[in-house]
Amino acid sequence: MAPRIQRLDHHTMEKYENIWFGIAVVMSVLLAVAVFASFLSGTIPRIEDEGGGGHHLEGVKNGRINSRNFAGTPFATPGLVDNKDGTYSAFVVARAFAFDPPVLKVPAGKPVTFYLTSADVLHGYYVEKTNVNATVVPGQVASFTTTFRSPGPLNIVCDEYCGVGHHNMLNKIIVEAPQP
Amino acid sequence: MTTSPVHTPDLPRPAPALAPGDFRARTIPAIQDAAYLASLKKVTQYYVVTAFLALFIGVLIGPLQAFNYAGINVYDNPILKALLKSYYQGLSLHGVLNALVFTQFFISGWLLYLPTRDMGAKINMKFAWGTYIMMTAGLLMAAVPLLLNKATLLYTFYPPMEGHWLFYVGATIMVAASLLVALQVIVTWIGWKKANPGKVTPLVTFMTVCTWMMWLVAALGLVGEALFVLIPWVFGLRPGVDPLIAKTLFWWTGHAIVYFWLLPAYISWYAFLPKQAGGRIVSEPLARLTFVMFLLNSTPVGIHHQYADPNISNVWKLIHMFLTFLVAIPSLLTAFSIAGALEDAARARGGRGAVGWIFKLPWGDPSVTGQILAMISFIGGGAGGIITASYAFSPVIHNTAWIPGHFHITVGTAVTLSFMAISFWLVPHLTGKRLAAPKLALSSVWLWFAGMMFFAVGMHWEGLLGIPRRALISATALPIYKEGSMHSQIPMALTGISGVILLVGGLMYFYVLFATLLSPRVDDGEVTTPLPYSDVISPAGSDLTRASTLVRTTEPLLALWVVALALVLLMYGPVVLRLIANASLVPGCDFFSVGAGGCR
Ligand SMILES: [Cu+2]
Repeated sequence: MAPRIQRLDHHTMEKYENIWFGIAVVMSVLLAVAVFASFLSGTIPRIEDEGGGGHHLEGVKNGRINSRNFAGTPFATPGLVDNKDGTYSAFVVARAFAFDPPVLKVPAGKPVTFYLTSADVLHGYYVEKTNVNATVVPGQVASFTTTFRSPGPLNIVCDEYCGVGHHNMLNKIIVEAPQP
Repeated sequence: MTTSPVHTPDLPRPAPALAPGDFRARTIPAIQDAAYLASLKKVTQYYVVTAFLALFIGVLIGPLQAFNYAGINVYDNPILKALLKSYYQGLSLHGVLNALVFTQFFISGWLLYLPTRDMGAKINMKFAWGTYIMMTAGLLMAAVPLLLNKATLLYTFYPPMEGHWLFYVGATIMVAASLLVALQVIVTWIGWKKANPGKVTPLVTFMTVCTWMMWLVAALGLVGEALFVLIPWVFGLRPGVDPLIAKTLFWWTGHAIVYFWLLPAYISWYAFLPKQAGGRIVSEPLARLTFVMFLLNSTPVGIHHQYADPNISNVWKLIHMFLTFLVAIPSLLTAFSIAGALEDAARARGGRGAVGWIFKLPWGDPSVTGQILAMISFIGGGAGGIITASYAFSPVIHNTAWIPGHFHITVGTAVTLSFMAISFWLVPHLTGKRLAAPKLALSSVWLWFAGMMFFAVGMHWEGLLGIPRRALISATALPIYKEGSMHSQIPMALTGISGVILLVGGLMYFYVLFATLLSPRVDDGEVTTPLPYSDVISPAGSDLTRASTLVRTTEPLLALWVVALALVLLMYGPVVLRLIANASLVPGCDFFSVGAGGCR
């Protein structure tokens, strides 16, 4: 007698279903735990909320700024500021289709807190070969702290669509070796 | 509200929960009124054909984008220049037509027709045609500024980039029409519940109602953005716009919308593909659980698109990330169920071995093959989605070419290829015409799959190298992508090749579709191509009081819908209210047709 085709039955399927369901739940939770750990350990340059988004700056309240007039704010003169305590602040203004300053020089190995804002539409501040990636929003200040380890030039790419010249919105960060 | 489980006194000998008939494919109630049935099929056909016309234009523009990411700029070609003013206009059309218009029209037809037939309901055809006309009118209104380069906003239309008001109004009308389709289906289902007290909602209706309810919760963000932010702003009723409020409301809908695209494909995979492949549905209760999980969990996850945005609490970003990971669970359950159904089919066809059974699937059937290939692409797409949603990895690939690489194997293949494969039986079913050139149809789905695999590898790779998405990277003032240290030659070549494969596969598909549509009506679709209902290994049963706990818990969809709404208000309310309290209005700018300096 030829063996009958063994077809899947309800009870076998239910058993595998439950195992699979368990695996899916455990996997999702583990993923979240892993990301939470890297968040706490500071490997991500996390974008601050309104509490940290430059609330201490002149002309900035709750991380918001008047996009039409930067007079009196640090964004009136964009660039790097040495805080004289081993830390640095970088003020960057994005406007179609360039970042200001066009070349930002930062010291290697020192924490730099960035403050970014836009004078017109959305832009993106993406530093190649790093995990620096922030949306630059008019009327808002984006802030994060990062440390560039090795000296050399890095391209800054605008990675948020901002009009016909979007692809040409490319500038540079030059990471400088510490002065002896 | 649906009926709650009634407590039945203990019987000496409980009747069996499942009848033999429950294991067999559902026999749908016959529709006697031939004119009504013809009209229902006609409106479905109009939705589906309009959808594929949009996809046709969108697909023709696709290779231009692929060539850009191969480092070849074709947008300076004088003939093309006469049609498309810029790469960004081409990309706006490609994205809007494929991702928004095609999906919405197809789903509105598909998910109006299926539950109506499943319940054997008599719906108001004037209302059904009215929503189709409204949706099409909205589409045409939005199309005018899009074609004139007056709404080159990409499909995210983030303010303060400002397009012509007609675009916003047209798009809003189009979306509003889909909400009316949702209401018509839900009202029809409520009528069915009233007429069938104590009965379990049949699976196809259940999945459809779940999907539409999810869309009603998800769409609230976009509706809010359109009515309270964008339209008052473009008509000058507000001094400016807060880009962050708009973006947050956009992603409230913008992430959940991918499940609104995906679930209609899942309905086919769950309910119809088993029959088409020669197998059975694995478990109806499990399918119900999956859809309820999507109803509850699809929407309160959108902030994972905003990790890079300022002034949104990191706590909320992490909560939304965790909820995003949880939405992977119903998709993993789906993978289990569908793989089980396919294995059941293959073994019934004589398949043997742990993996050898795969070869016994009906690979000669373009509809089955297309859907299986769509699922295979979703294995990579789904896994990539979980990676992309993690806050730790996101900054590396946010807004890089990785993202279009990702969504072309999710919406671009899992969804689009499924809809294409469904059309191989749906069009003959609706029209009584025979599928033209089935061999060509089979080749077209393989080419689409292969093309998308090339595209996905090329684009994910380019993204990891740091090449941004949505940029004319083939014609930058500084040649940082093509030259220098990026070593992008291989992924760029893969992307370029993918454009050619997809164009060929796409043209073959549309030849089959149009040849089928233009051929004479020869059959009665009801007889020759009936809806492919499947047998079931573990049915839900039809009597609510005797059904399993899972079936009884998932049945009260209106109550679950209220829970879904409460959940999304809980997860979005605090974020949106804080943004409103700190609103920072900025003026609109047109940098796509005017260029820099185009601010108000
Ligand atoms: Cu820009």
